[in-house]
Amino acid sequence: MDRRKFVQFGVAAGGALLASQAFGQNAKPGAAPARPSPKRAVFPGGQVAVTTPNGVTLPLKEKDGLKIGHLVAMPVKHTFAPGLEGDCWGYNGRTPGPTIEVVEGDRVRIYVTNKLPEPTTVHWHGVILPNGMDGVSGLNQRPIKTGETFVYEFTFRHPGTYMYHPHFDEMTQMALGMMGMIVVHPKRPKGPPVDRDFVLMTHEWKITPGSRRPDPNEMTDFNVLTFNSKAFPGTEPLVVGRGERVRIRFGNLSAMDHHPIHFHGLTFETTWTDGGEIPAAARHPETTVLVPVGSTRVIEFVPDELGDWAFHCHMTHHVMNQMGHGMPVMVGANARKIDPRVQSLVPSYMTMGQTGMGDMAEMGMPVPKNSIPMGGGPGPFGSIDMGGMFTILKVRESPETADPKGWYTHPKGTQAERAEDALLKADGIDPDATFG
Amino acid sequence: MTTRPFFSFSALALALGLSAGCASASLPQHVGEVNDIFTARNRRDLAVSVPGEDEDWEKTAAEVPKLLGKPLDADGAVRIALAQNRELRAAFYEIGIARGRFVQAGLPPNPEIDLSVRRPNDPTQPLQLDIGIEYNLSGLLILPLRKGVAEAELAAERLRVAGQVLDMAYTTRAAFYTVQARQQELDLRDRALKAFQAGFAAAEELSRVGNLPDVDLATQRAAVESARVDVAEAENRLLDARETLNVALGLSGEQTRWSIEARLPDPPAEALVFERVEERAVASSFELQELDARMRVASKRAGLARTEGNLPHISGGFHGERDASVWEIGGHVTVGLPIFDRNQGTVLSARSEFGAQRERYLATATALRATVRTAQNRVESTGRRARHYREVVLPAREKALAETVLQYNAMQVSVFQVLDSQRQVTQTGLTYVETLLEYWNARAALDQILAGRHRGLALGPAGAPRTNLPSGGDSAAAGH
Ligand SMILES: [Cu+2]
Repeated sequence: MDRRKFVQFGVAAGGALLASQAFGQNAKPGAAPARPSPKRAVFPGGQVAVTTPNGVTLPLKEKDGLKIGHLVAMPVKHTFAPGLEGDCWGYNGRTPGPTIEVVEGDRVRIYVTNKLPEPTTVHWHGVILPNGMDGVSGLNQRPIKTGETFVYEFTFRHPGTYMYHPHFDEMTQMALGMMGMIVVHPKRPKGPPVDRDFVLMTHEWKITPGSRRPDPNEMTDFNVLTFNSKAFPGTEPLVVGRGERVRIRFGNLSAMDHHPIHFHGLTFETTWTDGGEIPAAARHPETTVLVPVGSTRVIEFVPDELGDWAFHCHMTHHVMNQMGHGMPVMVGANARKIDPRVQSLVPSYMTMGQTGMGDMAEMGMPVPKNSIPMGGGPGPFGSIDMGGMFTILKVRESPETADPKGWYTHPKGTQAERAEDALLKADGIDPDATFG
Repeated sequence: MTTRPFFSFSALALALGLSAGCASASLPQHVGEVNDIFTARNRRDLAVSVPGEDEDWEKTAAEVPKLLGKPLDADGAVRIALAQNRELRAAFYEIGIARGRFVQAGLPPNPEIDLSVRRPNDPTQPLQLDIGIEYNLSGLLILPLRKGVAEAELAAERLRVAGQVLDMAYTTRAAFYTVQARQQELDLRDRALKAFQAGFAAAEELSRVGNLPDVDLATQRAAVESARVDVAEAENRLLDARETLNVALGLSGEQTRWSIEARLPDPPAEALVFERVEERAVASSFELQELDARMRVASKRAGLARTEGNLPHISGGFHGERDASVWEIGGHVTVGLPIFDRNQGTVLSARSEFGAQRERYLATATALRATVRTAQNRVESTGRRARHYREVVLPAREKALAETVLQYNAMQVSVFQVLDSQRQVTQTGLTYVETLLEYWNARAALDQILAGRHRGLALGPAGAPRTNLPSGGDSAAAGH
């Protein structure tokens, strides 16, 4: 089967998937795939197809040397994580929209149908193309009215990682989730080939607990932070093999925030920006990559430590789900001084946070419907008290057969545990040591 | 013969038979007459009980200690007031005044006996004795007319006092409702204070551990202290209300330690249907009936004055004179000639009084109709509002509180906002109580009008009573 035929097969399979899942919106929120998709070397030079965790790739039909795709801008019911649904806008039934994956030199014809209640356009962010295809409403084209279908046609002349989003009422449309990633594989790839290629779109939202509609007017107080529009524990883990070369392509269309994405258990190099490939000589090792608003960053690494490794935005508020800050600091307060008086009026009241907030996720207090404040996810050693822009890189010996839902089993003696008294004594450690 | 009156006297004839009716017309009888009016109207609940004898006037009616022994309710309060209120008792004695006049008017004029002794200057002449009996005949003729006037006055007086019984019952009922409302207000103000105190406790604790700026602590403190004043004011309003009720109940000393348990009842779920209220109000109005009776008095008085004016004053008598040993007997008639004074002035006055009463009757009827419509509107409006507060606003506030607690649980809002939301519930409770008081007052007023009285009703100004937020203000939320 040659590449072209393979792609056509992929289109058919993808079409079936679209029909059942993407448009139907009946995929279980946060459900991980049972198996990682097998590596598919389908692009020139043995390049593998990209995986969009929690997402899909846009099916492209080939005809007369053109790749033809269809994006439908539309309202979307989206689940950020179990317990939090949003009335969002997106493409083809999802946010972010399907990843557009092509090869350098491909000419595409992309139809855009507007099923939003207001006009829209699509801007191909970072892509160099004829000016009339750039999608800035009023400047390059007239807006696509509700019910209209426009056609964009251009050639991807430069390899790289790009994004797409509306350029009409940007504030509203992007705040509601309209965006997607574009991957243009090089015709002649340089450097070592990668075994895994992922795209992760970072985004931020304001959804007041109990409401459903993200607030486009918010300027600072974002409380849902996402990878591919999913907040942990809704994020799918990335399963990779030990010793495999892994590429992750980040894009950031957040309203206001850059995201320093930090990796545990490995170092990486930034290999591409949306401007192009970084020369090998200019690369340097990092554990945190800053993804600025409106930019893409591509990193590559080869993990050699097995395990479940966290990676996440390092802004601590970006790994919390729907935290508010309309309350005074409670740390250190004595609840017994407060609770009896308040409870005599409001029986269900309980002072919280006086010993810190780490345990909140497990308290299971009733909260507004459709909200995941303080929520984290379950881990093998109890609750993971983080949410938001947090996910897990699962490094396995046999990634194709590993259960992506399963947890890493630590070999004996490789896991932190409670220190035995005898050991403390032997090493002269006094747990009751005082200072000052 | 010249005679000189030696002495003359007018003897009072003690008509024992006539005065017997007067002796039985005691307080219980006056009360009984008024009770009969209410019995006829099927309002036995307004029957007044008094001691069996005038001499027992200081005694307390047997039912009063029983009623005071347990927590009072509105009907019980009315019973006590009817039995115990001394203003009302005084009004009953006023029936006695009118009855006395009636009895007096029914007494025939007394005959007059004239006796004179004369000693002649001539010593040989025997003592001369004159004896005469004189009787006012026109007085006797006019007696039924006078009696008619007094009787009409008595009837008017009875109606007036019956009206006062109604007033008493109404005033007591309204005073009782006010006590209930003020009691509930005090409870709610106390609850508001507790909310502020809880907020202050939280602020104090947060301040202690260094999490709260002093300005927020001071703001919470100020709110608590203001709310304390609100409670004190509410307490005073309750005490005032109790004293107003004490006056109505005629209680003093130990007896003022009564308690109430019940809260103001919720309004009935369905709006009451009042039919033909204007007709019924007019038909039962004591005021109109009293004016009607007064018109009759004026008309009878005019008739009496006219008859008196036109009737020549006639008196007649017999006369005996003993001269020496011989009695000379004869009779005489005196006729006053109604030439100049034919009571024209009195007749004019009485007719004018009639006219005045007639106009007053019409004016009263107009006012009565307007008042009953006002009361009916007030009952419907306050009832609707009270139901709305109870069935919609209060649950909505409680829901808002519950949702605020959820937002608090979700760490979106502070304890201060939870307490603020709780105070909104309390605040709605306060407004509900005021609306409820207005409703029951309007109900009592409407009942009062339909029972026969439309004056002196505490219908108050129209519109929702505005209870202010607890003094703490609407936003003492610290920390945000
Ligand atoms: Cu971030």
